[in-house]
Amino acid sequence: MKIWSTEHVFSYPWETVIKAAMRKYPNPMNPNVVGVDVLDRSLDAEGRLHSHRLLSTEWGLPGIVRAILGTNHTQTYVQEHSIVDPEKKKMELCSTNITLTNLISVDERLLYSPHPDNPDVTILTQEAIITVKGLSLGSYLEGMMAMRMSANAIKGWDAIEWIIKNSERENVPLCDIY
Amino acid sequence: MNSVGEACTDMKREYDQCFNRWFAEKFLKGDQGGDPCTESFTRYQRCVQTAIKEKDIPVDGVEFMGPNKDKPES
Repeated sequence: MKIWSTEHVFSYPWETVIKAAMRKYPNPMNPNVVGVDVLDRSLDAEGRLHSHRLLSTEWGLPGIVRAILGTNHTQTYVQEHSIVDPEKKKMELCSTNITLTNLISVDERLLYSPHPDNPDVTILTQEAIITVKGLSLGSYLEGMMAMRMSANAIKGWDAIEWIIKNSERENVPLCDIY
Repeated sequence: MNSVGEACTDMKREYDQCFNRWFAEKFLKGDQGGDPCTESFTRYQRCVQTAIKEKDIPVDGVEFMGPNKDKPES
């Protein structure tokens, strides 16, 4: 098991970042995410929005890792639960892979909140637990996955910034562009 | 962005467009009413659930009624 965490600061207010986070895909930085579906969505009694989504991703691991894992399944699925609290200005997102779970599990948690001293800035804290199961090379693969998490996190931040810039520049909802 | 079910992609886009507008213009601004996208969501959701069953994707909370339901893991 390997625990990975990081933090990022966006130079935009919380609402701007959350709007982008909710419609993060598609973006050029994460071409591996090929599908996003909303499975369930509801408001709770406290006015928070719960979303349950399914992400279809292309398994972009290097060939050597695929060979070790012994799978040619390049498509894998991730389930994601998010809660947006507009009053407390908090968005929490938890995700976990639901296929290849006999080989690996990646549980990730993201939290977006305004900077306590500066409402024009948003902090994203991000952590993940990576477990490769039943392999003698497990810790090697976990380390490799953690490195990938770091690279992917940067792509994710760039993606949010890209969404913000593109949707604001063109002043149209991004969802209209396909 | 595509849906997991090819047949659902148009429905998904219609719903997303409705939802994103409500989310940005109402929800984040403190409007406590629900989204007006129920109709398009229901249609889209029905399609996605069928696709998930067909592809046997192990999603929580989706009833698996398909022929693979009782198959042991291979």
